[in-house]
Amino acid sequence: MSDLPVLSLIVFTPLVGALLLLFVPGNAHRLIRWIALLASLASFGFSLALLGYDPAGAEFQFREELPWIPAFGMSYILGVDGISVVLVILTTLLSVVSIFYSWDPITTRVKEYYATMLLLMVGMLGVFVSLDLFLFYVFWEISLIPMYLVIGIWGGPRRVYATVKFVIYTLVGSLLMLVAILAVAIAHGSETGTFTFAYEQLRGFGYAESLQGLAFVAFFLAFAIKVPMWPLHTWLPDAHVEAPTAGSIILAGVLLKLGGYGFLRYSIPLLPDASVAFAPIIIGLAVIAIIYGALVAMVQPDLKKLVAYSSVSHMGFVMLGAFVFNQQGLAGAVFQMVSHGITTGALFLLVGIIYEQTHDRTIAHMGGLNARLPHYAAIFGLFTFASIGLPGLSGFVGEFLVVLGAFRYSGIVAALAMLVVIVGAVYMLWMFQRVFFTVPSGWMRAPWPRLRDMSRNEWLSLAPLIILVVALGVWPAPVLDMIAAPVDRIVEAASGAQGLTSLSWPWMGR
Amino acid sequence: MDAVDDLVTLLPELILSALVLVVITVDLFLSRPNKWLLTPLTVAGLILAGAALIPVWGTNETVYDGFYVVDDLSLFFKGATIVIGIFSALFAPAYLVSRRLPLGEFNAMLLFALIGMCVLASSSDLITLFVGLELMVMPGYLLTGFHKTDRYSNEGGLKYFLLGSFASAILLFGVAWTYGLTGTTSVVGIAAALEGQMSGALLVAIAFLTVGGTFKIAAVPFHYWTPDAYQGAPTPITGFLSVGPKLGAFALLVRVFAEALAPLRADWLGVFLVLTVLTMTVGNVIALTQVNVKRMLAYSSIAHTGYIMAGLAAYAAAPTRELAQRGIESILFYVLGYGVMNIAAFAVVGMLQRDQSRFGGLNSFAGLASRAPARAAAMTILLLSLTGIPPTVGFFAKLYVLLATVDAGLQWLAVVIVLNAALAAYYYLRVIVTMYMRDAESEPAPIDGSPLGSVALALSVVGVVALGLFPGPILDLLRASAASIF
Repeated sequence: MSDLPVLSLIVFTPLVGALLLLFVPGNAHRLIRWIALLASLASFGFSLALLGYDPAGAEFQFREELPWIPAFGMSYILGVDGISVVLVILTTLLSVVSIFYSWDPITTRVKEYYATMLLLMVGMLGVFVSLDLFLFYVFWEISLIPMYLVIGIWGGPRRVYATVKFVIYTLVGSLLMLVAILAVAIAHGSETGTFTFAYEQLRGFGYAESLQGLAFVAFFLAFAIKVPMWPLHTWLPDAHVEAPTAGSIILAGVLLKLGGYGFLRYSIPLLPDASVAFAPIIIGLAVIAIIYGALVAMVQPDLKKLVAYSSVSHMGFVMLGAFVFNQQGLAGAVFQMVSHGITTGALFLLVGIIYEQTHDRTIAHMGGLNARLPHYAAIFGLFTFASIGLPGLSGFVGEFLVVLGAFRYSGIVAALAMLVVIVGAVYMLWMFQRVFFTVPSGWMRAPWPRLRDMSRNEWLSLAPLIILVVALGVWPAPVLDMIAAPVDRIVEAASGAQGLTSLSWPWMGR
Repeated sequence: MDAVDDLVTLLPELILSALVLVVITVDLFLSRPNKWLLTPLTVAGLILAGAALIPVWGTNETVYDGFYVVDDLSLFFKGATIVIGIFSALFAPAYLVSRRLPLGEFNAMLLFALIGMCVLASSSDLITLFVGLELMVMPGYLLTGFHKTDRYSNEGGLKYFLLGSFASAILLFGVAWTYGLTGTTSVVGIAAALEGQMSGALLVAIAFLTVGGTFKIAAVPFHYWTPDAYQGAPTPITGFLSVGPKLGAFALLVRVFAEALAPLRADWLGVFLVLTVLTMTVGNVIALTQVNVKRMLAYSSIAHTGYIMAGLAAYAAAPTRELAQRGIESILFYVLGYGVMNIAAFAVVGMLQRDQSRFGGLNSFAGLASRAPARAAAMTILLLSLTGIPPTVGFFAKLYVLLATVDAGLQWLAVVIVLNAALAAYYYLRVIVTMYMRDAESEPAPIDGSPLGSVALALSVVGVVALGLFPGPILDLLRASAASIF
């Protein structure tokens, strides 16, 4: 391991890029795009160094530790375990993809756009590498504002409504989480005499039952809104429909993962008793989300909204896997996050490609695109199948593992989840059929002659995602090896948990 | 200690007093185009006064037979006072001069108010306290009505004056009751006399002091003067009024409630909890409905008062001395941070009012991001800070209050605070939405771009971010300050 502060470089290179952009004249679009691309590429390059993470070694590697506000026990502690590593690489990769994809579509306020995207990167990456609860919270909030601006400035017609809804929803959850963070740190401090926000010290401490219950609810709200879990998901379709393509890629690909990551990194290890006690509720909500998302996706007339609702369903799998507390379920949850990031990111990108040309996403207005855009149809088909969970593509591995884990928890839950995989095939294939086969609609005749197949830039943006979706489907071992040890630790934390005496479920036989 | 030595500890106040005289005199000899020189003069004087605080740091002594105390708490308040004074002096000229309002009088009034704030912060006797208070609010009344030919300014000034005098009288009545019950006006003396005491008469005294004190900080339900006074006053002056007298009034509350009435804190806690929750909630809910940014910021300042009061409630509820001190610290940090960000936010509103027909409506912000990107970005950071988004001073201030309340066992109050913060996000973000996501009006009003205002704006934005990222050095000062009254 080198002495370079790799994690700081990953997190703050985009910030340097954003600051550089301040000194570039606003009309030098080419230069602006190059600076943004190089900054994100540099960050991606640094993040590849994390592949040197040793799964058999210490839990958190590439650690950096500096005092920040010692008076309050707040420090600048960075470190990654296997889960963070895969999510960091996913983030930097999708950021590069979305910045590169934005090359042509974004033509207004170019400088502000790229600066905002780079700041967004800083926030998201910071969340994944922080090992101090206060630092984590700061990055968590920092990631909020750029997305607010991206949707609000470069979004569709109802962008203001969508973005304000997004920000208020998220803010309510995260502010309550702030109170919970303070309460946890204070409880630990008053008990041990050292007031600190350092994750490794706060974790594994036996917090009082009432505190665990309340703090868990606060953490749950923050993370569940982000995931989003049913019934807190209503901001998501609006945000996605109005967001520009690159915004959707990041939103679906990374921002939703912040919620899933929050559960795995903070909720369960910090508050294991409450996690175990609340698990049945969360599993119930997850199953509802899986079914509900799929059914609602089926009837969406808007292509982008369909993908958005499919996200609700897929992220339900993540939550289900996370709260059955066994290796298969948790590994599946993490894998599903990565896979969903790649697949859904790509699907949003593909939707964006057709939207840029026709300025319409209504499925009924399409049809027969296969004849005109064969390459586009082929790639769209690949990701459709990945989203369904076809064996051999990355989507399968995650869902299979989650269902396996769920089966060990309860046969009925697993059966319900499995059934929805079939519904997933229904809505995705039906959509694919209506968009690419049949005959072009009457509406389509007007833009038909102008339609072009994928451009070089679009190919280049999709290439890494195509490679990954196949590679991880065929050979998921590298990711699974990487996350095995941290997953075991989470299982261990949950298995030692007692639950809450004030909250027991009669049907659990406890 | 003899009188000459006592004078040294009063050096900051003496410098400010001399500065008033200098400003008034110089003003007489400057021709109209040269009046702007008064601003650098005032700022230089303020910096000098600020420098005079440094040698007395850590002295912690009472002078003039117990009427005046120079402890670290007072010095922190004075430091914050001077910072607020500097920003006020820098932001005001462009707005005032374009309306042909006299700069010399403004600077003099401002300095008088600052002296009042310093006296208030240092008073260890209720008599001094009252003198300081009046010295602070009288120039405030005048400044509110500073725009003589403007109807709203006159109305605001009159309302502020009438209600303010009334509240001062009530406060004075409370002081009289306290004196009657304890036989002393000394803060320390009262605290000693009240140890273990409680009676109906004392309750009356506390009630009067509470009403008078909370009127001055504009807490609900004693806030009715605020929106009209704030909206009527010339905008940069509103910026000052929303933070300066508020800082002074919190100094008063700390001296009266956390020092003199400290033994009875379990008794006044309940009232303060109710007022705290009311203040932040009512302020935010009404601010939600405002379409005028100036008025919206006025109501939001009421909400911020509520957050600061939560610090005082945390002080009173805290089980240990150390945790009680944290409540006081949170008040100090919030007052300073809020001072810097709110003056600047009002200043931006003022910059958009170069055309006198503008009243700070939301539509004057439309499309600001493309017309004046730097100002829009600055306003965005200030609004995010007011919302409490990291890494800004507003976030850290709120965090400090939350920490103090949770520490004191008032978790529910912390939840109320964050729900209020989320509510406030809606109306602060609305301004950002207007700046970035709406197109400018067909004939947008000209924007004031005076260098002085721009420099001050840049300074405050840097301050807002720097204090949010690295509050460490200030925290050490804070702790020492708050410790000096325990």
